[in-house]
Amino acid sequence: MRRLEMILSRLAWFVPTLAGLVVIVFLISNVIPTDPVRILLGENATQEQVEAMRVKLGYDKPLPVQLARHFRDVLLGDLGVSIYTQRPISEDLAKRLPATLELTLVAIALSIALGIPLGVVSALRRNSAVDHALRVVSVSGLAIAAFWLAMELQFLFSMKLRIAPLNNRIDGFGPEAVTGLFIVDSLLSWDMESLRSAVSHIALPALTLALPAAATIVRFTRAGVLEVINSNYVLYQRAMGMPLGLIVWKYVLRNALISTVTQIGLIFGVLLTNAVVIETVFDWPGLGTFAVQSILQSDHKAIIGFTIWTGALIVIVNLLVDIAHSIIDPRGAR
Amino acid sequence: MKRMIVALAAAMAVAAPAAGWAQGKYVHANNSGYDNLDPHAIFDVGRAASRINFYDGLYRWVDNPPKLIPWLAESHTASADGKTWTFKLRKGVKFHDGTEMTADDVIYSIERMLATKKGASSLFLPIIAPGSTKAPDKHTVVFTLKESSAIFISTVPEILVVNSKLVKANEKNGDWGAAWLAKNVASTGSYKLKRYDPAIGFVGERFKDHFAGFPAKAFDEIEFRTVLETNTRVQGLIKGDFHGTDGYLPYDQILRLKQSQNVQILEQESMRVFYFSIHNGRSPMSDPHFRKALAYAFDYDGFIKDILKGAVARNPGPNPNNLWGAPKDLKGFTYDLEKAKAELALVKEPLRPITIGTLAGFSETEQAATLLQNAAKKIGIEIKIESAPWQVVQSRMQDREKNYDMVPLWKSTYYVDPNNWVGELYGSRYLGTRNYSYNKDAELDQWINAALATNDQEKRRALYEKAAKKVAEEAMGIFVYNTKWYGPYAANVQGIRFCPIGSGQDMRWAYFK
Repeated sequence: MRRLEMILSRLAWFVPTLAGLVVIVFLISNVIPTDPVRILLGENATQEQVEAMRVKLGYDKPLPVQLARHFRDVLLGDLGVSIYTQRPISEDLAKRLPATLELTLVAIALSIALGIPLGVVSALRRNSAVDHALRVVSVSGLAIAAFWLAMELQFLFSMKLRIAPLNNRIDGFGPEAVTGLFIVDSLLSWDMESLRSAVSHIALPALTLALPAAATIVRFTRAGVLEVINSNYVLYQRAMGMPLGLIVWKYVLRNALISTVTQIGLIFGVLLTNAVVIETVFDWPGLGTFAVQSILQSDHKAIIGFTIWTGALIVIVNLLVDIAHSIIDPRGAR
Repeated sequence: MKRMIVALAAAMAVAAPAAGWAQGKYVHANNSGYDNLDPHAIFDVGRAASRINFYDGLYRWVDNPPKLIPWLAESHTASADGKTWTFKLRKGVKFHDGTEMTADDVIYSIERMLATKKGASSLFLPIIAPGSTKAPDKHTVVFTLKESSAIFISTVPEILVVNSKLVKANEKNGDWGAAWLAKNVASTGSYKLKRYDPAIGFVGERFKDHFAGFPAKAFDEIEFRTVLETNTRVQGLIKGDFHGTDGYLPYDQILRLKQSQNVQILEQESMRVFYFSIHNGRSPMSDPHFRKALAYAFDYDGFIKDILKGAVARNPGPNPNNLWGAPKDLKGFTYDLEKAKAELALVKEPLRPITIGTLAGFSETEQAATLLQNAAKKIGIEIKIESAPWQVVQSRMQDREKNYDMVPLWKSTYYVDPNNWVGELYGSRYLGTRNYSYNKDAELDQWINAALATNDQEKRRALYEKAAKKVAEEAMGIFVYNTKWYGPYAANVQGIRFCPIGSGQDMRWAYFK
């Protein structure tokens, strides 16, 4: 019951959060000294064409009126039409969302698979050479610029070793879309060639995203495990002769991972931000490249649409994290 | 006209139909998105590939220097007053769905352009009234212009013909089929749309019934992909993932590509003039002495030889050197700070810091601005540099009040006629569209308008040469170089026919060795 209250309370904040995002992005977009109508019509448009289109799109109205209209449209589920692609923005975003989701989910899975075990090892071997080495690696992982790491990985694995594709999401255009997640769709259609291609293409961008995230998880897991491992109940179990592996798996991790799970929710937001850069380097056709193109084209409505969608994604993921948190530590839901 | 027919015959000879193709797929990495396939909605150089490879016009530009060859039309005639243009259409031309292309399709296409007012429509809106184009018979189209226009024939290739029946069947709420054509192709063009994803690019399949046939080993399929990152495009070409990419890469990347055995670099002098656009309508740039001081303060040799490693050719005027209408005796300005100071001393208006807007991501514009900034400081002119994406810069340039004082940029080829350069950049009839100089000079206007009103090539040449000379000598802009096109292709790609319009992306002529 308390968990349901918690979920409803989080959901109640969903709309105001997104509304705030819309206002902020709308205002920022209008600070940029560009004329979206001129961009839409191109450099060859006459003044008459520009003015006619300005009236048609409502850009001739005062800013508060434009904002109010935009709010109304967003509430009705209409994000407008992209001035660059000239298609409904929701359609463009929906088309690209699976690519970003797939990349982000694989990156999160990789970062968890790397980060938690290494964090545990680092804590159990505190101040050993292994711990120091992991500290150096994890701090470096946090410090490295994502685009630099991406290019280095491309150079090493694609150009020198030639074991990974340089860019794109798959060879060709991919399997018939069911979910839009190529790995899942390849499995659903039992298309092993597409599966191999999808996995090999996602490896480098996911690794680029996962390494800094894994570094964060290593640090948080290490801190969490260290805090728990010195607690009385763990000392008692060790004194009882219970194997260390069992103690860590059964008693330490559950308590130690509370802060790590919270961190994973925050990391999702960071991954989405980094995806903007990584998708551009790896030519990954997701929300990130859409955002870059929209910004370069001063496509205000598309930028707002991207922000609303990513904002909603982050809110949803954080809600899921809160639910997971309440399962791991039921005290949190109280 | 005879020359045009000979040119088409030569083109066709290269394109004689042959049986039994197995030439695989050509993959091109482009730095621009293919977000929209509507040939009447897009007109930018970056997205030219879908227009050129999927669609045909009445005439077509090929090769360098560019030649205009009859394409969907077999021939044309113009009335003595230059207002009535009659085109005889080729018979038996098929759309991809097998229906025949007729004059009705041409009329629908031009009416669609005039109604939707996008893409290349601005070339035709001032001279063609809606409803004025007629079809006396199934294979004849008559354009009756509002005023005589010598450049009309140069712009005719931009009237890309769509399948009117198919598009009409997909119109919604009077949109002229815009939503449908954004992601479908309805044409007679060299390639049929096979696969399209706006986020990725498109695949075209050779249209075997194309009226012009194909070279013996033409590609079966072409794929154009969006690859935004320059480094990724270059590495992909070296690795063999792509067979071609854009021909205006930074020169350091060209040098890198030249070292790869997998890559060949095709070199051509293009028609893309790099210059500083100057706001002539605002003080102190309205004073020719101030503009000349700036023109003398730019180190042309240092920029071309040291920064650009001699990869481009000095171009002292607004018209490209390799085009008629560029005065051969034009010397242009040289870097001379003493002369710059002397000109500055003649300026009557008070000086003030001026602002240069550069194009973010185009390092040459930033380098040129910095070079001028450093030299200008030595003669007492303070320059501020603001960098912004091209769209931001462009939209500001089109507003007289918001425009920067100067902007270094390129003028690309939209049609091959001196009017594309000196006419559009400095003729007051183009104020608010392509004239960013806000220049209004009665003498210049008279020459430019006279050149548009006559079809006498020699008269036009003389007029454009006079106009170009005046613009250069009065430093209405600072003209630096004409770009060389370094087309990077896989070593086994042959038959590329570079044309400044399309920049080597017209793939119907190309094949694998």
